[in-house]
Amino acid sequence: MKKILYTIGLISCLEASDYIVIAHETVPNFSLQQIRAIYLKKLTLINDQQAIPINLPADSSIRQAFEKKILQMSQRRLKAYWTKQHYLGHRPPLKMASEKSVILFIKKIDGAIGYLEANKFHPTKKIKILYQWSD
Amino acid sequence: MRQVTTYLLILLGSIHLYSDENYQLGEGVHVASLPFYLGGYFSIDYQHKEDFNRYRIDDLALLGYGNYQKLSYMVELEYKALYVHTDDNHNSTTEWNPTLHIERLYGDYSLNDNLYIRIGKYNSPIGFWNLTPINVLRETTSNPITSSIIFPKFTTGIALNYQSFRSHTMHAELLIQHNADLDDEYNNYQVDRHYGLSIGYEYGDIALKLNTGYFHLNHTIEHNQRYYGLISTQIDKERYQILSEIGTQTDNKGTTTPYALYLQGLYRWSESHISIVRFESYRDKIHNQKEQIAVIGYTYRPYYPIALKAEYQLHSDHQNNQVLLSLSVLF
Repeated sequence: MKKILYTIGLISCLEASDYIVIAHETVPNFSLQQIRAIYLKKLTLINDQQAIPINLPADSSIRQAFEKKILQMSQRRLKAYWTKQHYLGHRPPLKMASEKSVILFIKKIDGAIGYLEANKFHPTKKIKILYQWSD
Repeated sequence: MRQVTTYLLILLGSIHLYSDENYQLGEGVHVASLPFYLGGYFSIDYQHKEDFNRYRIDDLALLGYGNYQKLSYMVELEYKALYVHTDDNHNSTTEWNPTLHIERLYGDYSLNDNLYIRIGKYNSPIGFWNLTPINVLRETTSNPITSSIIFPKFTTGIALNYQSFRSHTMHAELLIQHNADLDDEYNNYQVDRHYGLSIGYEYGDIALKLNTGYFHLNHTIEHNQRYYGLISTQIDKERYQILSEIGTQTDNKGTTTPYALYLQGLYRWSESHISIVRFESYRDKIHNQKEQIAVIGYTYRPYYPIALKAEYQLHSDHQNNQVLLSLSVLF
């Protein structure tokens, strides 16, 4: 019985994906609610400097995991949300094609925030991890 | 009419010139590399009551906005009831209203992480309905009476907004108008003073808002000083939404509107199909009106920024029973 449980546990661990939210080192530590507010452009300044959230393409599974866990919104609700925000004069976050571009951008730009798969990130100067979660 | 056609051509030309392959309907276009985005919306509708039919181009509007560092701005210019054709007891009339009006014009400046100031003409930040009042962004062609008899829809002045995001969201807003409206054509009340306070709280899918204020009417002598209060609640889940607002209004001689309320529920069968039920009740002492209204509606959104709607309104005064149909698009 123990062997079976151990095997199931091991398979679950192998299949689970780890994700992280990373930011430029100038960004303070945030609660989940604050990260959500930054991605919904409700919070636009961090310590008096502009917050720059970055998205991956809409069909990215990493983005879908982020929207489900952090924003807690489906793509339909997000589309409705950003359509209303267009009427109110707000734009969705910047979009980048790959996780590599996200890392390079965050390294260079103060206030930048992004998300990626944990195994794509190697600790480096100028970038800090704000939050980590598993699927 | 020529002015309207020119305006439309400029709008369509701008979208064609500047849109790229990333353009998505409902998100506007980025004009060149400027801090300027261009969009707009329109709606057409049909109303049928006993012995009465109305065909209308209700809204045709242009939106322009952008931001640079701590500054942002919004401009909205609109033709309202641009074309109206009515058939009433065998009499037909057609009207054109080709005058462009300023619906919104304001600038925002962020003072710090939690505080920003707004100056100009803006939607009064009262309740939930009044913040996104255009046809395409709501789920019924009609607006509840509560949204038009308790408070002025627009304010021209200063607003100071504070918001805090921790485990929950809280915000407070102070609005001050001590001057005439920038353009009062579409305002439900013509005011030269409006002071209001808004306090909001959000936790997950639940939001609560309290509003109170005072306004002064500049074209009337009687009942020209009004005080109002409004409580709004919203539960917004993936499949359904429940929205409710209840308000009251008084002047210095007594109550003008003892109550005006609505409770609306909507159910999303899928991404495109939505059913709506709304119950309304109000009593207006100024116009000596008291009514209960039940609204049943259906909205089809082939794509979110396009809405086709049908609704039936059942009034306690049966002469007002009516059917409304509309098509609205945000681009």
